[in-house]
Amino acid sequence: MESDKTATKPRKSGRVTGALRALTRNKESIFGLAIVVSFLLIAAVVELSTLLNVTILPYSPTAEVAPGALPPSLKYLFGTDNLGRDLFSRIVSATPYDIAIGYIVVGSAFVIGALLGGYAGIRGGILDEILMRFTDVFFALPVLVLALVIAAVLGTGVTNMAIALMIVWWPAYARLARGEALKVAHQNYIEAARLSGNGHRKILFRHVLPNISGTMLVYATLDIGTVILVYSGLTYLGLAVHPPTPDWGEMVSDYHSYILSAPWLALFPGLVISLGVIGFSLLGDGVKDAQETR
Amino acid sequence: MNLLRFVLRRMVFAVLVLASVLTITFVLSHLIPGDVIQAWLGKEAATQPKLAALTAAKYHLNDSIPVQYYYYLVNMLQGNLGYSPSRGFQPVTSVIAQTLPYTLQIVFFAFIMTIAIGVVLGVVAARYNGTVLDKGIRIFYLGAYSSPPYFIGVVLLIVLSFVLNIPSGYAANPNLTPPTAITGLPIFDSLIEGNFAYFESGLVYVFLPALTLAVATFGLLTRVARSSLLEVMQTDYIRTARAKGLDEGSVFYRHALPNAAVSLITISSLLVTFLVTGTIFVEDLFGYPGMGLYVVKALAGTDYPGIMATTLVFAIIIITTNLAADILYAIADPQIRLG
Repeated sequence: MESDKTATKPRKSGRVTGALRALTRNKESIFGLAIVVSFLLIAAVVELSTLLNVTILPYSPTAEVAPGALPPSLKYLFGTDNLGRDLFSRIVSATPYDIAIGYIVVGSAFVIGALLGGYAGIRGGILDEILMRFTDVFFALPVLVLALVIAAVLGTGVTNMAIALMIVWWPAYARLARGEALKVAHQNYIEAARLSGNGHRKILFRHVLPNISGTMLVYATLDIGTVILVYSGLTYLGLAVHPPTPDWGEMVSDYHSYILSAPWLALFPGLVISLGVIGFSLLGDGVKDAQETR
Repeated sequence: MNLLRFVLRRMVFAVLVLASVLTITFVLSHLIPGDVIQAWLGKEAATQPKLAALTAAKYHLNDSIPVQYYYYLVNMLQGNLGYSPSRGFQPVTSVIAQTLPYTLQIVFFAFIMTIAIGVVLGVVAARYNGTVLDKGIRIFYLGAYSSPPYFIGVVLLIVLSFVLNIPSGYAANPNLTPPTAITGLPIFDSLIEGNFAYFESGLVYVFLPALTLAVATFGLLTRVARSSLLEVMQTDYIRTARAKGLDEGSVFYRHALPNAAVSLITISSLLVTFLVTGTIFVEDLFGYPGMGLYVVKALAGTDYPGIMATTLVFAIIIITTNLAADILYAIADPQIRLG
C-alpha cells in the first residue's frame, strides 16, 4: 500500500499491465474475455442502431417474416418461431437489455456497498454494528422471493425487477467493502491522515475507497454473469418484459411447449444465456487469479 | 462464545430476518394503488362481497396503519393467509398444505442428487488434478451452473423425452390411489403403506424435475469440494501421512476427504436456497403440482394472497435451513463459535 501520491502513479500502471499480462496468459480468461467483449459489442451496436434508426438486424424481431417454425437455415440462421418471426433477430435484439441490467445492478450494488461498508469499516463501534446487522438482514432475503413480492405489489416490468435485484444485491458488496476497509483502517497512512485532522468522509473517499475498489472490481466482474442469470429467471416467469418485446429467458418460457416439434426455439436463447454467463465467470476467474498472483 | 450462546444468537437473527420479510411484505402491500381489498381479492372481488367484508374485518383494513400491522402479523403467525382468487377462493393455507409436500419431495431428491453428483465429481477432479478428467469435469460444471435451471430442464426434456413420457400436471400416475398422509410426503407415505405402485410412479414423476435442479446446482459443490481437497492436500499432516509410507489413495480418501468435508457444510445453506427457489422453474416447466407451480399460476392471475403466502413459506424454509446449516457448522468446526 502506497503512502504518498507520487509513488502511486507509476506503480499503478505497472500493476495494470502486469495484471493484463497475467490475464492473457490464461487461455480460459482469453476465451471469457472474447465472449464478454462480443456480447458488449453486439449490445452497443444494436442499441446504437435503434437510436440512429438504422436497420442492422436481418429481420424485424417482432414481425412475421416466414410461414412459421422453420428450422435453422442460411436464410434464417436460428430458424423462425411459431409466429414466423426470425429467432436470430429476436435473440440479438434482446442483448442490450440483458447486458445493461447486469451492469446497472452490479454498479449500484457496488456504489451502495462500498459507501456503506467502507464507512462502517473505518467508523467502527456501534454504528458499524447497526449497519452490518441491517446488511445481514437484507443479505438473508432470497432474491426470487423478493422479486415475486415486488412484482405482485408494484407490478411487473423491467424497472421494478431491476429495483428488486438492487435491493438484494448490495449487501454482499457492503460486507466485502467493510472487510477490506477494516484491513486498511489501521495502516499508517490512514492513521496519518486521521492525525492531520481529516474527517471520516474525507478518509473514506480519498484513502479507503481507492484502495478497496480493486478487490471489489474483481468480485463485480464475476458477479455480472450471476445477475444476468437471475434476471433471465425473472423474465422466464414473465415478471420483467411483456410480449412482443423479446428477451432470452422469456423466449425459453414461450417456446418450451414446442420442444418436440421445434426444439431449436428454446435451445438457442437458452444457449445464449449460458454462453454469456460462462464468459463472465471465466473472465472473473481470470481477473481473480491475475490479482492474486500479482 | 459457547455453542449454546452461538445457537441462541443465530436463532434471534433468524427471527429478525423473518420479521423483516413480514414487514417488507406489509409495507409493500400498502403501496398498492387503489383499494386494498380489491387488490387482495383480484378482479372478482365484487362477486365475493362476503369474503371482502371478512377480509376487511380480519385485517382491520379500516383502522390505522400500526393497528393494521399488528393484525397483519397476528394473522400471518396464526396461519390466516387469506383466500386465493386463482384457486376459486380456497383458503391459502389449504392450498399450501396441498402443494408444499410436492415441493419438498423435489427438494429432497434434488438435494440427494446434488450431493451425490457434486461430491463425486469434486473428489474425482481433485484426485486427478490437472488431468484431462479434471478439465472435463470443470467444463461440465461450469456449463451446468452457468445455465438457468429451466434451460437445463428443456435440454433434459429433449434428450430424455423419448424415454420418459409423463403427462404434465401430476406428481404420480393419476389413476393410482394416493397414500394416506403419514409423514405428509406422498412418496414416503406410499413406501410406508406398501403402496409400491404409487411409490414407483412417484419416483418416476419426481425424477426429471429433481435431476434438473441437481444439474443446475451441483457445480457449486464440485468447485468447493475440489478446491478444499486440494488445499487440505497441501497441509503438514498430509505430508506426515505420506512420510509414514501410506499410499496416495489412502492419504487422499482416509485423511484428506473427512477434513475437506467440513467446508461443504458452509455452502449447504446456499445449495438449499438454490434448490428451493429453483422449484419454481422446474415445477412450471414439468407441470409438477407443487408450491412453485402455484406461485406461477398466482402471478399470472394476480392472486395477491397466494403470492404473499408462498413467498412467506419459501422464506421460512430458506431461513430455517440457513439456521440449521449455521448450527451444524458450529458443531463441526469449533473455531467458528469464536468468531
